This record gives sequence, C-alpha cells and structure tokens, in this order.
Amino acid sequence: MENGHCPKILIVDDEKGLRIGTKRLLEGEGYSVETAENGYDGIKLGTTTEFDLAIIDLKMPDIDGIQVMKEILKVYPDSVCLIATGYASYETAIEAIKFGAFSYIPKPFTPEELFQKLSQGYSRRELILEKKKWKQEREERLLEVAFEKSRLNTIINSITDGLLVVNKNGEAVLYNPSALKYLSFDQIKIEEYIIDKLHPQIAELINKFLSSQKCEQKSFSSEVELKPNREFYVEATSSPVANPDGTLAGVVVVMKDITELKKIEFLKSQFVSMVSHELKAPIAAVYGYLKLFSDTSIHLSEEQKLNYLNRSQIRLDGLLKMVNDLLDISRMELKTVNKEIKEIDLHVIIKAIIELFQIEIKKKNISVNVKSSEMLPCLHADQDEISRLFTNLISNAIKYNKTNGSIDIIISSSGNYIILEVKDTGIGLKPAEKTKLFQEFFRAKNEKTKDISGTGLGLSIVKRIVDSYSGKLAVESEFNIGTSFKIFLPLRNGINNKEQKAGN
Amino acid sequence: MAKIAIIDDDPDILDASSLVLTSKGYEVVTATNPDDGYKIVKENSPDLIILDVMMNEPDDGFFLAQKFRKEKISSPIIMYTSVSKSLGMDFGVNELVPVDEFVEKPISPEQLIEKVEKLLHAKGGV
Repeated sequence: MENGHCPKILIVDDEKGLRIGTKRLLEGEGYSVETAENGYDGIKLGTTTEFDLAIIDLKMPDIDGIQVMKEILKVYPDSVCLIATGYASYETAIEAIKFGAFSYIPKPFTPEELFQKLSQGYSRRELILEKKKWKQEREERLLEVAFEKSRLNTIINSITDGLLVVNKNGEAVLYNPSALKYLSFDQIKIEEYIIDKLHPQIAELINKFLSSQKCEQKSFSSEVELKPNREFYVEATSSPVANPDGTLAGVVVVMKDITELKKIEFLKSQFVSMVSHELKAPIAAVYGYLKLFSDTSIHLSEEQKLNYLNRSQIRLDGLLKMVNDLLDISRMELKTVNKEIKEIDLHVIIKAIIELFQIEIKKKNISVNVKSSEMLPCLHADQDEISRLFTNLISNAIKYNKTNGSIDIIISSSGNYIILEVKDTGIGLKPAEKTKLFQEFFRAKNEKTKDISGTGLGLSIVKRIVDSYSGKLAVESEFNIGTSFKIFLPLRNGINNKEQKAGN
Repeated sequence: MAKIAIIDDDPDILDASSLVLTSKGYEVVTATNPDDGYKIVKENSPDLIILDVMMNEPDDGFFLAQKFRKEKISSPIIMYTSVSKSLGMDFGVNELVPVDEFVEKPISPEQLIEKVEKLLHAKGGV
C-alpha cells in the first residue's frame, strides 16, 4: 500500500470459496488477511486482534453478521467494518450502517468493487487513527502545560522572597504569599491598581519604569524599612518585564528580607563607635596629663607629677590591651592564625598571668588558688592562644569579683579531655546574660557592672580559641554568688599516650 | 570667679580638666556619672557645665543636657566628644540642640579655656 503500512483485514464468511478467493486476491495486493469460517470464530479473532478492516457476511448459520460486527466494535471501535451479503436490500443496508458498519457491499462483488470499498474504508480508518493521535497529543500537551504551570506556581509560592508583578498600568497581576506577608496586606486583588497602596519607596521603584514606559534592561534597588525601628527591612529590586516586541509589559518587584543583615550592620557600626571611643579615651587622658606638664602656668608638686605619670602608663597599658584584643579578633576572623603546637606547661602560663594581674588582685584582696590533678596528660597547643585564653578568663574573674573574694583555677582531665576551670566569687550572671555571654561586644550591664570597663571582646576571643581546638565551653553561674567557666580541650591521641608512658 | 561643673566618667580627664581650670582661677565641682552630675548642678548652680557625651551608655551626655534645659537651667554647656559631633544625635528636627559648644577629645587646654571664656563672657557673668 501507499505508506508502507500493511493493512490488516478480517474476512468472516461461511462460504469457503469466497474466503479463500478473497484472501488470495487481497494478499496479492499487499493486505494482510485472516479469515473466520463462522460468526463465533469471527468474534474471537476480531476481538483479540485489532483489524483495520473487516468484511463480515451478514447471513451466517451460527450468528448474525451484524451481531459479530457489534461484538468486534465493542472491543475495537475504530475497526472499519463492511457488511457483505447476497441478500441485498435497502433495509439491510440501513440496519448495518445503523449498527456501526462503514459500508455495505453486495455479493457477488468484483475485485474492483471490493478494492474501491476497501480503499474508502481504509482512508476512513486512517482518518480515525490520525484524529485519535492528535487528540492524545493535545491532551498530553495540556497536561504538560498544567503541570508546568502548577509547578511554576508551587515554586513561586515557595520562595521566601516576596514577589509582586504589576502590568504597565500598575495593576497587580502576580504575587506570592511572602509578598503578602512583607507588605502586610490581607489580600492583593488581581487587576486592581496597587501602586498607591504600596510603601512609597517601593512605589517609586515601580514608577521608574511605569512613568517612562520604557523597557531598558536595568534594575533599581532600595533598602526599605517596612517596619520601624529596624524591625523589618527588605531590599526591594524592580526590573522591567518585556513584551515579545520589546515594549513594557509590566514590572516585577522582588523583596529580600535583610533584617538580619541590617542588625549586623548596626552592631558593627555601634562597635566602631564604641571602639573609637574606647581607643580615644586613654589617648585623651595621657594627652591631658602631658599638657599639664608642659603648661608653664601650672605648678605641679612632685607627688602630682609621679601620680600623673603613673596613671598615664596605666591608661596606655589598657590601650595596648584593647588594640591586642582587636587584632586577635580580626586575625581569627581572617583565619590566618598559624598555630604553633607544642607541649605546654599550664602551671607556668597561669603563674605568669597571675603575676601580671598582681596589682588588681591585691587591690581587691582576692585570694587565688591553683589546683591540678596529679596524673595530668600533656596538653599540646599554641602557647599564645592558651595564654590569651587564661588571661581573658582570669581578668574577668578579677574584674567582676567581690572585694575579699576568691578565684579557683582547677586543671583536671577526664577521658579524652583536659578540663580547665576558672571559678570566681563574683557578681555572677543573670540567665539572660548567660545566653549572650560569648557574643561579640556583649557586656553584662546591670546595677553591679557600672564601674567595670572592657571591650566585650574577651569572651568571644575565648570562644574562638576553644572552637578552633574543637573544644567545649560550659558556663555555670548564679547571680551575686559567682561564676565558673569550664573548658574541655580534646587531647591529641598517640602523642599524649607516649608522654604518659614516658612519665611513668 | 565663676563656678564650673565637670561631668565625665573618665577620672583622668576629670583631674586634668579640673587642674587646668582651677589654675586659671575657676572654682570646679566634679561628678563621674549622670546621676551625680545632676545632683551637683542642682546643688551648686554652676555658671558653666562641661559634659562628656558618653558615660555608661552612648548619648548619656546629650540626655543629661536635655534634662537640664527642660528644667530651665540656662548655664552654657560644653560637651566633650570623642566621636564626630553628628554621630549619636537623635534629635527631632524641631528640637533645639541643648549644647552650646563641642570640644573634641583629646582636649587642648587652650581650646577649652578659650571656649569657657567665650561662653561665660556671652552669658554676661564672670
């Protein structure tokens, strides 16, 4: 046949001669033919295989041809059936077609007549199949589109950034739940003018495009404070949406929550102010005293001179410490700390630090006790870091301690950890203060800390050091009773075991 | 000679400033925090007040100055500041700045004396 497909034909007829003859005729023309010698066989064949065409004899001994056709059409409604019969009659033809036959072919038929009918039937069949194919494809396409659309909607509704799209007239056409939340709207009406309901800064971002109605590939961003006092900040970005012909279709606004970022920015600028103040104070103090020395109109006694020199020195020491604290922080932030790991003697370090703080310790009459377990494994760490760690903890223990109070420094070990504890009888911490204790710049501020100075960096440095050793920090404190800082540092296996054995 | 109150939490600044002013013949009273500062001003009625901008909290000095003005204390006020003048000022547009002069730390005694004399002269007292 024309398109290479071999049409399948079923012949159902009790006349053997007709069956064989027609089969031979049709196979000669390239058809694939199967035959059934009675109605029931015809039904069996026609309902188990899909035939393109079927020629069914009307009058058969076992069952009516039309009945056979009905059964076949029940299973394969697209098979094209022709009813053939010697009993040509108008009524028969109508009945056949009524029940689904494509056509009626009177017997006897010439080959030409047969081929003509078959050709018509086959064209019909092809049309049916094609229509079926298109319908299926269209359904699939629609399903795809619906799926894509719902997938897109799901995606848009899931993103945490707020999304709002307006058309060139400023009417809302698309939005997501985040946009509703950020803009504090109960609802957004589609195709309703929305510009005047928006925060003026956001309206301005949109109007940049709406007013010019131009579609240049540009975006505008603004930081918008949607809730006062830095409670909620977004970065809103507006971009044009183009029609296929390049004209402006609308504007899309994306709102990103930057509240956290703004908080950090604020903390940082607060920090800078604070640092600037803290750094200038000792400089101003020393400068002030020096000016007294150089002012000829002012007479200073020897005692005064000594006093001022001494105090200048103390202020400069404090300034140096502050600068070191800041350098430590910035070093750690840049992660450029090169640890020099070696075996360190904790007792030596602690003793040196206590010496350093002798003046402050004596001033408050604090008793310092250092206790350590007998069989201590060796700690391998960077000397400067451990020294810094103890300095900060002991400094706090002194600063926040009561007069005549005490500080206990306890070194012990447990399992794979060495435990360093610094305990004081100081003013302690309130529960709220405990949670923020290691945050940068945090300083406990209550009625008892009025006269205590510091940068708020000491403990954040301690935490960084402990973290860098994969250690653990624990704080226990009771307001007005005292505080204990416990540090767990993991021991390095292998090396330490060897040392211990050597020590034994 | 005029009486001057200095309110600053830094004892070294306080001492040095006091010495500079007393050597020029002024009478000086001091305080190290806003509460004590308020007390000494009320008790002594100084002819001039010197305030540090930041004591326990940022802007402590400004709030104290505002408080003085609200209570109709008209003595001229000099503010010590270690950060640029504009930082930390959170006043409404209509509010008058309660401070008459700023002196940035580190303080130059010459500058301080100059400003003190200018303000006292303007006030009309000596």
